[in-house]
Amino acid sequence: MQLQTSGEVGGSKLSSVNNLYNNYAGMLLGYLFEVVKSRSVAEQYLMLVFNDVPNEIEEFYKPGVNAFCRLQLMARKKMASFFENTEDHNTHNAVQNNVFIVKNKFIKEMTPDQQLVFCGAHWHGKSISKLAAEIGKPEEAVRKLLKECFTIIRVAK
Amino acid sequence: MRVEDYIESGILETFVMGAASDDETQELMFMKARFPEVNEALQQLELDMELLARNMAITPPPNTWGKIEQEINDIIVRDKTSPEKFTEKERDNDDDFKQSKPYNNEHQYIEVEAESSHMKISKSWKWVFAAVFVLGKIFLACAIYFYLENRQAQQQLQELKTELRRLKK
Repeated sequence: MQLQTSGEVGGSKLSSVNNLYNNYAGMLLGYLFEVVKSRSVAEQYLMLVFNDVPNEIEEFYKPGVNAFCRLQLMARKKMASFFENTEDHNTHNAVQNNVFIVKNKFIKEMTPDQQLVFCGAHWHGKSISKLAAEIGKPEEAVRKLLKECFTIIRVAK
Repeated sequence: MRVEDYIESGILETFVMGAASDDETQELMFMKARFPEVNEALQQLELDMELLARNMAITPPPNTWGKIEQEINDIIVRDKTSPEKFTEKERDNDDDFKQSKPYNNEHQYIEVEAESSHMKISKSWKWVFAAVFVLGKIFLACAIYFYLENRQAQQQLQELKTELRRLKK
């Protein structure tokens, strides 16, 4: 969703951040919770992200910028050390135990390989090369799988 | 590579998921700016991500925004009240200083040195210190010399007294 603004960036920084918070805090918290699997830790990350928003508030109002994706990107940067420290994140087990499926109707529609790639990249912060090594396929194949995942999401909506 | 092939390659999906490398991101930014189809496909993917996130949203606790608001207000107040350092250069060029730094809200501070345990003195004092040092050594040598002389004299006096007592007997 593209944020609308007239003249100055949302009047004041605080009201602009509040606008973003009202629109996306729930979605971001949901994402953060799936990554860290702890409500309190997820809430701390949520606050860290929104505390940082005033520093780059102008970016959110540039034409063509998706505010949620930008917030998610900021959250990913904040969680970089979390992703690094949980190298042993076992996406195989998470997929086998249907950790993500029970909550998400889109994931249900995906094949095990698609789930492995999508969940690994999205919630475990894994790179394409790492995912390729995990499933024993070339990187191009991993990207194709990711593309298929998005097609499924689009069709299932 | 054709634009259609680029879109089909899955690189856009990789970028949206935050898994693209720096080179891939740079290339994508270039393609996005050059080809509207790429931009459109990217925006569609971002909407898909939003859709996915909306499906798994969790309502934050009611007090979370209050904490964020407090923190942002603190940052804003800190930014507004932090004074700039006053420099001599600005004072020398008085006109420019008055024009560029109106003293209404933009306070400045003058950096002062903290109290130091060291003192600064003129270099000429080093000869005085050298003379005091040398004189001190001379007085010390004299004191030792006269002490030893005195002790020797006392011993001789004691020996003479003993000799006299023996002669009297």
